[in-house]
Order: sequence, then C-alpha cells, then structure tokens
Amino acid sequence: MNLLRSLTRRKLRTALTVMGIAVGILALVVMAALATKLSALVESGSTYFRDKVVVTGVSSNPFSPALALTPLTIDVVQQIEQVPGVAVATPRILLHMNPDDPSNAFQLPAYIVGYTEGADRGYENSPTRVAKGRATGPGDEGQQVAFLGADLAREFDKGPGDTFEIRGIEFTVVGVGEPTLMSFDTSAIVPLTEAQAMLYQETPIVVERELDPGQLTSMVVVYPEKGMDTGLLAQRIEENIPKVRAGTSTDFDDQFGSTLAIFNMIILSVALISVVVGGLSVINTMTISVAERTREIGIKRAVGASRARIMRELLSEAAVMGLIGGLFGLASGAVFIYGANQVGETSGTVLFQLTPEIAVLAVAFSTALGTVAGALPAWNASGLDPIEALRYE
Amino acid sequence: MAFLKARNLRKTYRLGRDNVVQALRGVDVTVEVGEMVAIVGPSGSGKSTLMHILGLLHSPDRGDGPPPSLVFDGKDVTELRDRERTRMRAERIGFVFQSFNLVSTLTAVENVALPAEYAGRRRKTALATAAEALDMVGMGDRLGHRPMELSGGQQQRVAIARALVTEPALLLADEPTGNLDSENTGELLELLRHCNAERRQTMILVTHDPRVSEACSRVLTMQDGMIREG
Repeated sequence: MNLLRSLTRRKLRTALTVMGIAVGILALVVMAALATKLSALVESGSTYFRDKVVVTGVSSNPFSPALALTPLTIDVVQQIEQVPGVAVATPRILLHMNPDDPSNAFQLPAYIVGYTEGADRGYENSPTRVAKGRATGPGDEGQQVAFLGADLAREFDKGPGDTFEIRGIEFTVVGVGEPTLMSFDTSAIVPLTEAQAMLYQETPIVVERELDPGQLTSMVVVYPEKGMDTGLLAQRIEENIPKVRAGTSTDFDDQFGSTLAIFNMIILSVALISVVVGGLSVINTMTISVAERTREIGIKRAVGASRARIMRELLSEAAVMGLIGGLFGLASGAVFIYGANQVGETSGTVLFQLTPEIAVLAVAFSTALGTVAGALPAWNASGLDPIEALRYE
Repeated sequence: MAFLKARNLRKTYRLGRDNVVQALRGVDVTVEVGEMVAIVGPSGSGKSTLMHILGLLHSPDRGDGPPPSLVFDGKDVTELRDRERTRMRAERIGFVFQSFNLVSTLTAVENVALPAEYAGRRRKTALATAAEALDMVGMGDRLGHRPMELSGGQQQRVAIARALVTEPALLLADEPTGNLDSENTGELLELLRHCNAERRQTMILVTHDPRVSEACSRVLTMQDGMIREG
C-alpha cells in the first residue's frame, strides 16, 4: 500500500519509467520469439536429417538441392544401395515452387517435393502427418495429385478435392498436412514422375538431349542400416561414388547452426540494448526520487529505520516498476506477435513463437533489472546521515 | 541513578577546506532517570550537536584529548556500530523535531506507527499502538489525516505521539515549540510534563523558549561548545 503510494507520488514520471521498461521488454519478447521460431526451424531440420544421409551432385548443397546446377541420374540410386551400410536409397526431387523468386527472407521457401510414397520401405521418419484427406501413395504415380503442407494449404485456402496450380499444371489436392514447423509446411508433395517432368523443364539443354525425364533426380535420400553411423556412411558414399556430395545432420548443424547462433546473438543484443535503456531510466527515476525524499529518508533513519530497511523499501519500488514494466512489455509483445503471426499466416510467414519460458523469463528479467537498477540509488539513500538528510531542503 | 552519563564529548565539523567548527569541546553531562532537562544557549553553542550524540544519531570524535564515553541506561554505547545504534533509537529513544518532520505521504497513524514497526512490531500491532498514542495526545479523531491536512499544533502532537509510541526510556526534543503559538506551546508542555510524571520518561529538550526551560526540572546552558553551568 505504502509502496504504491510512493510510486504514484509522481504519476507521470513513474508511468514514463514503466513505459521505458515496457518498450525494452517488448523488444526482448518479440526478438526472443523470433529467435525461438528460427531455432525451432533449424532444430526440426536437424532432427529430420539425423537418421539419414542426403546425396546430391557434387556442385549442389545437400540442404539446398533445389538450387542444383546439374541433376543426378537415377542410376546413382542403385550404386548407392551397393555401398555397405545402406539399407534403402530413394530418389527425391526438390524444386522451388516459384523458380523466378526462390529467395524468401524470413520465410520458409515453398517447395515442390517429388517422391514415391513407400519407396523408403518404412525407414522414413517424416514428421508429416495427415490433417485432412490422405497422403500420396505408390498408386498415384502418373497422376497429377498433390499433398499440401499446412501453411501452403492455408495460404491458398485449399483442401482435399480442390485443384492447385503448380507451374501451370493443375493438380488435384488429395490431402493437407499438419503443421511441422519445417519446410514441409510450405511444400506440395507430388508423385515422383510429375516432379521429374518439372525438373526436366529446368535442366540445361545439353543434359536434356541425353536423358529422359524418368532418369532424373535432384537428390537421393539414403537410410542407413540399423546401428550404422551416418557420418561414416556419408564418407563411404563419397569415396565409392564419383561426383556426389553426401550430407548428414552434423553438416546441417554446421551450415545452419552457427549462422543461426550469430543471427540470434545479433537480434537479442539489439533487444538487450533496449532493455538497458529501460534500466537506465529506472536508475534516473530512482535517483531523482531519492533526492526528493532525502528528508523523508532522514526522518525514517532518525526514528529507527535500519539501512537495510531503507534499501528494502526503495528496492521494492524499483522492483515493482520493473515488474509492471515487464508485464506491460510482455502483454504488448504478445499482442504484437499474435497480430504479426495472424497477418503472416495468410502468406505462410509465421515468424514468431512466444513460449511460456520467454514470458516468465521476460517478466523475471525485468523485475531483476528494476531491482539492480534501483540498487545504487537505494544504497546511496540508505547511507545518508540522518541529521544531514533532515536538514536537506 | 544516572540514565545518561557522557564524558569528554567532542565534535568538530569541517564545512569547507578552511572552515572548521568545533561544535563540542569536551562536554561532560549526567542526566538522572526521570529527569526533564532543558538545554539552552545561543545559536551555534552546540545544543543540537549534543542532543544528536545523546540520541545516538552521531558519534563523538575520538583523538585530540581524553577518550569520550557515553553510558546509556548502564550500557556503554560509545563504540556501538550503526546497526546497533539504529536499533536503540527505534526501541529506547523518541525524537521530536522543530519542524515536525512527518512523512508527507503517510497518514497520521502511519507516521506514528513507523518507530514501532522499526522496533520489530507487526504492522497491525504497530498501527493499533499508534492509534492509542494519537488518542493520548488528543488526536484520536485525526488518524487518517495526512500532515498537510493538519495545523502546526496538530502536526507537533502527531510528532509527539510518534516519539512516545514505543514508550521509550528517553525522549529528546529539538526546539519542540519553535513553530507553535503560545496556546499550543502550553498544551505541548502539559503533555510532556504528564508523560514525564506518569511514565518516568527521561526527557532532554533543546530550546530557546523560556516557557520550556521553566517547565523542566533542570537547565543546562551551553556556550561555545561547553556546558557553562549545570
């Protein structure tokens, strides 16, 4: 009660300080939610690649095979299956949905994924789950059917039975997936033969002259035998088969993990700077507040308040300012994230993931920030000589 | 029986590079239990400084002379640390200041409850005791008033209730009638005399007001940091 009275003694100043903290925490919450979402994406990718080896042409990146300059030929699948430790090898095609604009900052790229359902003989541990309709199956080869990822289906408002145009060809949607937080969400899975036809269109004329569409693949997904180390298998594949690159989840982590860490560090640093500014405003407010209350502190010290008691009173005020600022920052951050994700959903760009951990940490951090920022003014106040303080005008 | 026994109290203030003020130059003073003593003297004679040292708000200087000593109700408090002196102020000493010195954001009863809370009582108990103390000084109907809603005389009554709330053994007052008219001064002195007589509280009053010194059982006159007569 007394604490609130002290805080509301200078309403505008307290409100401005709380707003300063709130803005800092808003930035922290939003940036942390962004970093969490990106980390979740990378983590889910890493998990996906953990039990497999991805083989592409030597000029391609196993984790961006849609940018392949030269496709692989399908006979490499048989060669890979001969490598000791390989259980199953399946061709897979990955193409950008929109080849004219493959880049998509802060958004999962939209892919066309072509493979024969069931060719993995049960080794695939794909996170895709059917939400509506059905998955594509071996019987769909030669049919223009597609299974849409959750974000893609939502963006274009498509469901089973609808038609969906991919590169000028109309596909019948057979099913829609549940959200996976991976590139599957923005992908359309089509039968291998259909994807091969589209890959053939992209292939340089020199290659086109020598091959049929049915001989093309952009990558081979290799499932190791039980107990086989993926790193060792990747090494064997590269040693035994010329002009291929084999990537594992370790390569994926090396490629994306460090970039993500730097990116996260940058965005969180920006947010922390905002928070530090909020902290400085608490120091400023508390210093002025202490100066204004010098006489009051002197009275309290004279009639028996210990230094610790004065410290506690002032620190409580600073902590409450931090707490209220944190709650406001969290609330406004949550509103911002909700709005941004709502807007983003329609375009398949869900950028932020606000977790309970972020919420609790943000409020705890801002309360701690208020307390720490209030510590110096409170310490100085508690050390005032009672008589000097009583004489203060 | 001596309640306060002070020897060789010296205090020097440095108010700038070359401005050194010797506020106390070796004061010896003894106050008996239940005595009501007035300290008088011209401005700058060291009255307030002496009161601050006797009230454990400041410590006497050491060095340049015989060692100081201060015995409070049989306990040597000369070397006490800040924490212990603070606790003694809360539990054993009540203060009344010239300019009332009430906390403006707190109500009368909350102001009076402060020393009781600092002395370790629970807030609810402290507020109940504070209400009784305010009743005793005739302010029982002003518990929820803020200082700015009270007259000077009423504020000083609140300040006295605050000084008495823990029933301290020693009450120190610095110019308690300085801001009061003669009617309020009379009422205040009556109140102090009543407490002194009924509760056997030892009182030391620093004053310029002859009515206050006349009301006391003994008058100490200070001049140039020394007690001239006792």
